[in-house]
Amino acid sequence: MTAAPWAGLLVATTLPYRFLQALFFDQLVEVRTEAAQYGNLLGGTANMIVAAIVIALWGRAVYARACRLAMGRGATPGREVWRVPAAALVSFFLTSSVVLLVGYLSVFTCLGLWVAAMFAGLAIGTMELNERVSVLEPFRLIGRYAKPMILLGMAFVFFCGLFVALVNLAAAFGLGVWALSAIGGFDVPHWELLFTPGNRRFVLMLVAGAFVAIEPFWVAAHVVFVRKAGAQERGDDLRAWFEELRRTA
Amino acid sequence: MTCTKTLCQECATQWDGIWHCAACLAVKRGAKVERSPLFSWIAVVLITAAMLFGGARLMVWTAAVLAGLFS
Repeated sequence: MTAAPWAGLLVATTLPYRFLQALFFDQLVEVRTEAAQYGNLLGGTANMIVAAIVIALWGRAVYARACRLAMGRGATPGREVWRVPAAALVSFFLTSSVVLLVGYLSVFTCLGLWVAAMFAGLAIGTMELNERVSVLEPFRLIGRYAKPMILLGMAFVFFCGLFVALVNLAAAFGLGVWALSAIGGFDVPHWELLFTPGNRRFVLMLVAGAFVAIEPFWVAAHVVFVRKAGAQERGDDLRAWFEELRRTA
Repeated sequence: MTCTKTLCQECATQWDGIWHCAACLAVKRGAKVERSPLFSWIAVVLITAAMLFGGARLMVWTAAVLAGLFS
């Protein structure tokens, strides 16, 4: 909760990426079987998505640092959040680009997407542990913290959370249109046609919005998971527990 | 704390979100900053750029195959 103000930055940097993804799917549904003949159109959008990913990843890295600092202090961190170490940022870009590739390669399998989601979570969780730039070290770190059952459980929770966010967003839009219909001066009857599940673009935007809504929680959960796992390895959690017991005794 | 000693709040100083004692801070200040070799930087940047470029191409290819499957 203490890193909450920084979630605004994460949302702002992720919005272009998610909305471009929605646009890509919209174009895909539009061209359907003739997709292979619209390579330039889809390729252009894909290039824009990749450019937007870089901005989104930077925002994610800054927010992850804010979460880590907030966790250590118990207070909202200040301007030092912007100073993401270059080695950590570059390592995060490397692991995330691999996740991107693995994600698209495994889109035909059901299991692959889950693995990619877990891998992406660990990539952001372990980002700040990379003190030096290396091709293999970020992957070794990810392997060290990979606890499949916990990560799978987290992925499942956020998968359910995605639907909750989707329903809430749809309800918020419905409520907004209903409330505005009382004011007048707006073309509300037209809006009621646009904001319905029958409108493909509206549904795609809702899905994009749901992803944006759960991302701050997803990033924070993985940062906390990696930090807690690290504390367990070093015995810091036991030490803190004994201290707490001694204080209450 | 790097040395894992238990200190009171007044004796610990926070640096980059982590609490350190005076001795640990002195060691940190005196430590030589090890820079990553230039080769690692170039390799990581090139691999990332290649992955992102490949990712964009793969995205279009996957989309075309998926569109063909669900037609």
